[in-house]
Amino acid sequence: MSRDGNRTAQTGAETETGAETGHDWDDPLEELAFRREQALRQGGEAAIERQHAAGRLTIRERIAALTDAGSFREVGSLAGAGSYDSENRLVSVTPAPYVAGLARIDGRPVALGGEDFTVRGGTTFGSQRRKGGQGGFVEDLAWHYRIPLVNLIDGAGGSVTSIRKRGHSVFPGVHGFERSVSLLGAVPVASAVLGTAAGGPAGRAILSHFSVMVRGRSQIFAAGPPVVKRSLGTEIDKEALGGAAVAVDAAGTIHNAADTEEEAFAQIRRFLSYLPSNVWEAPPVLPADDPADRREEGLASVVPQKRTQPYDMRKLLKLVIDRESGFEICPTNGKPLITMLARLGGRPVGIVANNPMVYGGAMDAAAARKQVHFMELCDTFHLPIVFFVDVPGFMVGEKAEREGTLREGMRAVFAAGRLKVPTLTLVIRKCYGMAGMATCNKNDIDLKLAWPSAEWGSLPVQGGVAAAFARDIRAAPDPAAREREIEAEFAAYASPFRSAEAFAVEEIIDPRETRPVLCEFVELAERRQRIELGPRLRGGVQP
Amino acid sequence: MADHEVAADVTGTVWKIVKQAGEAVAEGEAIMILESMKMEIPIEAPAAGSLSELRVAEGDPVAEGDVVCVVSA
Repeated sequence: MSRDGNRTAQTGAETETGAETGHDWDDPLEELAFRREQALRQGGEAAIERQHAAGRLTIRERIAALTDAGSFREVGSLAGAGSYDSENRLVSVTPAPYVAGLARIDGRPVALGGEDFTVRGGTTFGSQRRKGGQGGFVEDLAWHYRIPLVNLIDGAGGSVTSIRKRGHSVFPGVHGFERSVSLLGAVPVASAVLGTAAGGPAGRAILSHFSVMVRGRSQIFAAGPPVVKRSLGTEIDKEALGGAAVAVDAAGTIHNAADTEEEAFAQIRRFLSYLPSNVWEAPPVLPADDPADRREEGLASVVPQKRTQPYDMRKLLKLVIDRESGFEICPTNGKPLITMLARLGGRPVGIVANNPMVYGGAMDAAAARKQVHFMELCDTFHLPIVFFVDVPGFMVGEKAEREGTLREGMRAVFAAGRLKVPTLTLVIRKCYGMAGMATCNKNDIDLKLAWPSAEWGSLPVQGGVAAAFARDIRAAPDPAAREREIEAEFAAYASPFRSAEAFAVEEIIDPRETRPVLCEFVELAERRQRIELGPRLRGGVQP
Repeated sequence: MADHEVAADVTGTVWKIVKQAGEAVAEGEAIMILESMKMEIPIEAPAAGSLSELRVAEGDPVAEGDVVCVVSA
């Protein structure tokens, strides 16, 4: 094991003919120093320059930029391909195209590693033991010590040349994803896609709790442009096929985009800051400098009187959570929904909020997928979930049906139904139908709070009246007036205070009380979290 | 000067045009209002500047992702 540091460069002695001869060392410490120095050279100056010219950092620069200064303890620094002279003396070592080890982020240990693109494009190198990627040593390192894993991905997986070296082709799964899968139930896993990722490294990125890529600099796909051309005859460049506009914004394949590698690392540090090191530990509580009893006058007027007018849910959330504590996951995909890690009174929470600015907050397939992943993330790491509800129902229309909205939406209902973590439901405005059911959980008390602006039901009075009283309305001398009359009668019953009278909702709160109330319930949830630590067993079959 | 193409987040129809081409807009100010899912969804200026181009009229259908106007900031 070595720590990075400055070392004197040594090279093999050159003979008059220019052929390199190997080294003779009396002291094995000299050999160790030479071999370590060789590792730090990575793929050589020219390859490092090419990496920089592409606007990308090298793997060693990435590790330094991501982690606490001087904290990297490399493991496997001597792995690589040695070159020996005719006397079997070492001339040089081409390092393995993967750098891995342990480091600290905000003082907490992590296992991390990434492909070294400057060495043979970060491909595999035929070693006895794989260093990183699926089934690699770095995954076992995270598993063994129960610490988060960070993957810094910059590679396209196996190279066909390895077939010639081995004399046979490898069956898929020899280096399987089993460890990657088990990690998802045990420790936080974050991946940054920093180059062009295809094959195994692309798959590795997906098996993460959080993934981020660099807009304009990195791409990810199942297969790149040459394969697409051969398979489908279509010409497409790699950015159009798997840049952030596709992989993050349109598909949700990767959760977040960053403008630079440094910003991607900042996002990973931020993500990890809300989570415990593993599922057996409680989420990290920070000293709260924002008073829990802060009442925001602005909350009283944030919801417009006119129910067809939307409002800015992000602004609302900002007034409630600890100052500057929000971190959105998946902000540009599944936009009818907002999923955000945040803190209330210093305690980490997951926030699931409908966004009325996009389709009135109606749940589409992408929003449902996003909600399922986020709820399972919070449930796994014992973060209480607070739902800020304004959902008119599932998204409707032909496009929505073709996308399987009903199935994806019911998957969200299913996932909400098996949550074990304490949840809190706060209805801001609409809570209708089955999409509304995905915003609460019947675990024990099933606490539902509401603002006075709330309304709910199996379907809204407007439209519902037209359908249920069609014959009555048609027969009236003035059908429109008759419809308005019936609507007015039903609207009175739809008042949330009527539901509170029936104790169908536990409490209606003044919007200005939101932060104090939520902080109190999240603090109460902590006792329960502490005795329910450990892995989650999720039974059943997702619809 | 940078041109910001403003795209609709939702499929719907243009319910009301609030700002005309050439008018000054403040950041976050509504340029037009779309109707979708029975809601009035504002299209807001991404930056302060002037509305250099208006590509839709009241009543027009718009699809998610369509550029509906351009703001020069």
